Amino acid sequence: MDTLKVRDAQEVEDAVRAAIANEQPIEIVGHGSKRSIGQLMSTNAVLELSALNAVTAYEPNELIITVQAGAPMADVLSLIDSKNQQFAFEPMDTAALLGTSPGAGTVAGMISAGLAGPRRIKAGGARDHLLGANAVSGFGESFKAGGKVVKNVTGYDLCKLLAGSWGTLAVMTEVTLKVTPRPESERTLVLRGLGDVVANKAMTAALGSPYDVTGAAHLPGSALRTTVGALAEIAQPDQSLTLLRLEGITSSASHRAQSLRAALKSFGDAELIEDDASAALWRAVRDVEPFAASGPRALWSVWRIVCPPAAGGAFGEQLSRESGGEVIYDWGGGLIWAALPPATDGHAKALRQRVEKIGGHASLIRGSDAVRAGIDVFHPQPAGLAALGSRVKRSFDPTNILNRGRMSRGSAT
Amino acid sequence: MTILMPEPDQSVLARRDEIIAALRKIVPGEGVISSAAEMKPYESDGLMAYRQPPMVVVLPSTTKQVSEVLRYCHQNGIKVVPRGSGTSLSGGALPLADGVLLGLGKFKRIREIDFDNRAVVVEPGVTNLAISQAVDHAGFYYAPDPSSQIACSIGGNIAENSGGVHCLKYGMTTNNVLGCEIVLMTGEILKIGGKAAECAGYDLMGVITGSEGLLGVITEVTVRILRKPETARALMIGFQSVEAAGQCVADVISAGIIPGGMEMMDKPAIHAAEAFVHAGYPLDVEALLIIELDGPQVEVDELISRVEAIALGCGSTTCQISTSEQQRLLFWSGRKAAFPAVGRISPDYLCMDGTIPRKQLPLVLRRMNEMSEKYGLRVANVFHAGDGNLHPLILYDANKPGEQDAAEAFGADILKLCVEVGGVLTGEHGVGIEKRDLMPEMFSDIDLNQQQRLKCAFDSEGLLNPGKVFPTLHRCAELGRMHVHKGQLPFPDIPRF
Repeated sequence: MDTLKVRDAQEVEDAVRAAIANEQPIEIVGHGSKRSIGQLMSTNAVLELSALNAVTAYEPNELIITVQAGAPMADVLSLIDSKNQQFAFEPMDTAALLGTSPGAGTVAGMISAGLAGPRRIKAGGARDHLLGANAVSGFGESFKAGGKVVKNVTGYDLCKLLAGSWGTLAVMTEVTLKVTPRPESERTLVLRGLGDVVANKAMTAALGSPYDVTGAAHLPGSALRTTVGALAEIAQPDQSLTLLRLEGITSSASHRAQSLRAALKSFGDAELIEDDASAALWRAVRDVEPFAASGPRALWSVWRIVCPPAAGGAFGEQLSRESGGEVIYDWGGGLIWAALPPATDGHAKALRQRVEKIGGHASLIRGSDAVRAGIDVFHPQPAGLAALGSRVKRSFDPTNILNRGRMSRGSAT
Repeated sequence: MTILMPEPDQSVLARRDEIIAALRKIVPGEGVISSAAEMKPYESDGLMAYRQPPMVVVLPSTTKQVSEVLRYCHQNGIKVVPRGSGTSLSGGALPLADGVLLGLGKFKRIREIDFDNRAVVVEPGVTNLAISQAVDHAGFYYAPDPSSQIACSIGGNIAENSGGVHCLKYGMTTNNVLGCEIVLMTGEILKIGGKAAECAGYDLMGVITGSEGLLGVITEVTVRILRKPETARALMIGFQSVEAAGQCVADVISAGIIPGGMEMMDKPAIHAAEAFVHAGYPLDVEALLIIELDGPQVEVDELISRVEAIALGCGSTTCQISTSEQQRLLFWSGRKAAFPAVGRISPDYLCMDGTIPRKQLPLVLRRMNEMSEKYGLRVANVFHAGDGNLHPLILYDANKPGEQDAAEAFGADILKLCVEVGGVLTGEHGVGIEKRDLMPEMFSDIDLNQQQRLKCAFDSEGLLNPGKVFPTLHRCAELGRMHVHKGQLPFPDIPRF
C-alpha cells in the first residue's frame, strides 16, 4: 500500500487532487490509532498527517487552541494541562479498548471520531468544542469552516459535520478547539451493589438534582470481575459500582458531594473518593478499561450504544442477560458499552432491533474483520436520512475519494 | 433599500391567484393571507429598515400541511421564506416579492416534558421563555436565553443558533438541542436525533442549527433542559478605562472562573441605560462590568470574593455585590434594556453583532471611536465580555438625508474590523441579508462554494430562503463541477446532483 506522508496543507491539497485525477481513493490517517473502527475500506493509498503536528496558537485567556491536524493528542493535553485547562468533552483514549499504543492518536483523529468521555452529559461532545477548521475537500480544494472565537454563527456550521465524520468529508489540516479551565477539585460518590435499573434511577436522580453532576456511570459486578487498575482497586467481588462525579472549586465540590449523598440516601450509603483517586476512576470509565483488548474479552465485539439516558438501565440489563455479554453505563445511562461474546454478526441484528425501539443507535467499535465485513458497523439510518447523508457526502467529496466506504457499507459514504 | 434581492420571477407572479388557490386547498380557512393590509405585519422581521410584502402568507398548523405546501412550491418552482416570531435582527425572515412566507406561529404546543431524560419536545412556534416556564415548577430551565426570549420562537432560535448571556457557561442553542423533525423543500419529512445525546451518521442537527432557514423547515424540536442553579449573585464593577475592564475579564478567566454571565457596557451605553431604568449605575466610569456567578450558595459566595479581589487588582473604582434577588435583577435591568434605552436617545440605531478575540477589545473600541468621528455618528457599546461578542449600537436619524447609508457603512466597517483582528461577522444574530454581502470578508469563494454545495444537498433548486446568507447565488450543477481528467469525469457511475 502506498503511504504519502504530507508535511503541510498544500501537500494535502496536492495529494487529494492527485487522488482525484488518478481515480484512487485514499485513506486518511493520523497516528492510525483508530484505523480498526469502521467498515473495511476499499482504499489502497494512505495519506498520513502525523507530520502536521505543530501547535499554531494557544491563547489560554481566549479559551482557544489552534493546532495542526496531526498534533499528538497527548502533547496537546499536556500543554493545556500546564495552564490548568482541559478539553471539556473529556476525549477518550481508545488504546486500551483497541489494543493500540498507549497515548497515540492525533487531535484531528479524535475530532473525526467524535468520541467524548463522561463529561459529555454536562459539557457536550467533541462536536461542541470544534470552533474552526481548515480542510481539503474531495474537490481538492482547501476551505475554511467556522472561526477562531468561542461565539460564532457566521455561515453554516460545517465544523459540526466534520466532527464525527471519520474522515469521509474532508481532510482536516488545522483545527481550533475550545478549552476550559480545569476544575480545582473533584469528588466521586460510590454506591455499591445496585442493580442496573436501580442504578439508572439513582443516576437519573443525581442528574436531575441541582448539584451539577459531571459524571454518572454504573459498572455491574460481572463487568468488573477481571478488570485491573483503579476500578479493580475499589471493586468487591460481584458487586456493582455506581459512580457520581462532582467538580469545581474545592468548597463547592465537597458541599455538593455531601448534599448529593444525602439526596441519594435511599439508594444506599455512598463512599467518597477524592481528587487523584477519583480522576483515575473516571479515566478507567472513559477508556472502557473493563473491556480492554488485553483482557479476557479480547475476542468479544464491543459496541457503543447511545440511547435516551433513562432507558439505559433496563435496556442494558436485558441485553447482557440475553446475549451472555457484559455492559457498562456512562452518561447516566445514555451511553452503554457492551462487550458481547463471539457471534457471526457480532449480535448486530438483535441488538439494533432492540435499541431502535428505545430511540437509540449502536456502533461496533471493536470487532473482527469478518464481523466488520458482514455488517453495518455504524447504525444504519432510515432511507430518507441515509439519502440526505449521501448527498451531504457528495457535496464534500463527489467522487468518493476520501475514506471510501468507511461509514456506510455499499453506499457513497 | 441598499441590499439587492433576487429578481422576482414574473412567471410566478403572473400565477399568483392560481398559487393562492392551491395553497388554500392545503391550508384552509384563515391559514392563507393574501390581502395587502393583512400581510403588512409580515413585511419585515426585527431588521425593520428592510421591508418587502410577500406574494402570500401561509400559516400551516400541522407538519403534513408544511410538507404539502413545500412539495407544491417545489414542484412549481416557488420560493419559500420560513418565519418564526419575526424577531431576527439580520433580515433572515425578510419576505420575497415572488415568495411564499411560511409562518410557523401556529405550532405552539409543548408536546412532551420528560424530566427523567431531561428533554422537552416542542413545536417550533413555542417561545424560548415558555420552555423554561413549562419546566420551572420542577426546578428546571432551558439555558440559551437570547434577549428577545419573551417573544422569539424556539424554531427561530435554532435557525439562528441564538445565544444570550448564559452562552459563555452553558453554550449556544446548538449545544442544547438534541433533535428535530424537519421538512425538506421537496416535502420530505425527516426525524433527526431525539432524546439520545448523539445521532447516528453525520451531525445533521449540528449543521441545521444556525442555517438561517435555508436547509429545511423545522416542525418539532427536542431540547435539553438543565436543573436550575441553587442561587445566582451579580457584581457590578466600574472601571476608569475599557482596558482595565478587559483585563479584569481576562484575569477572571485565567483564574479558572467561568461566570454564568459577564457583560460590559461603555460610557454612552451606561448613561443611556441609567437614564432609562435607574439601576444605580455609576456615571463617572468609562466601563461597567456585570458579572454573575451561579451555582450552590457556598460556591457563589466564594467566587464572588475571588472576582471582587481580581477586579480590585485591575483597578476597579466601584464594586457593588447583589445581596438580594431583587438587586441582582436591578443590576441586569439596565443591560437587558440597553437597546430600548439607546432608542430613547436617538431616533434610530443599528445594532451590530461581531465577535472578536477579547484581547483585541481596546484596539477595536479605539478604532470604532475614530470611525465614529469619520462618519459623524455616535456609537454606544454593549458587549458579551466573556465570549468577545460585541454589540455596537450606531445612533442615527433616518429622516436626515444620508444618515442611514452612513450608519450602514459605519456598521460594515466595524464588522470588517472584527474579521481583521481575528474575529467573525456575527456572534448570535446571523448573517441574513444584513451581513450577506460582507461574507467575502471572512470567507473565500471556495469556502462559500463549499457551504453552498451543502445547501444543494438539502435544497437542490435553491428555493428555500434564497437571497440570504450568500452574496452570490449559484446553481447547484455549477457548484458540483469537478476536475476533469482526460475529458472524462472519474467514477461516472456515481450519481451527481
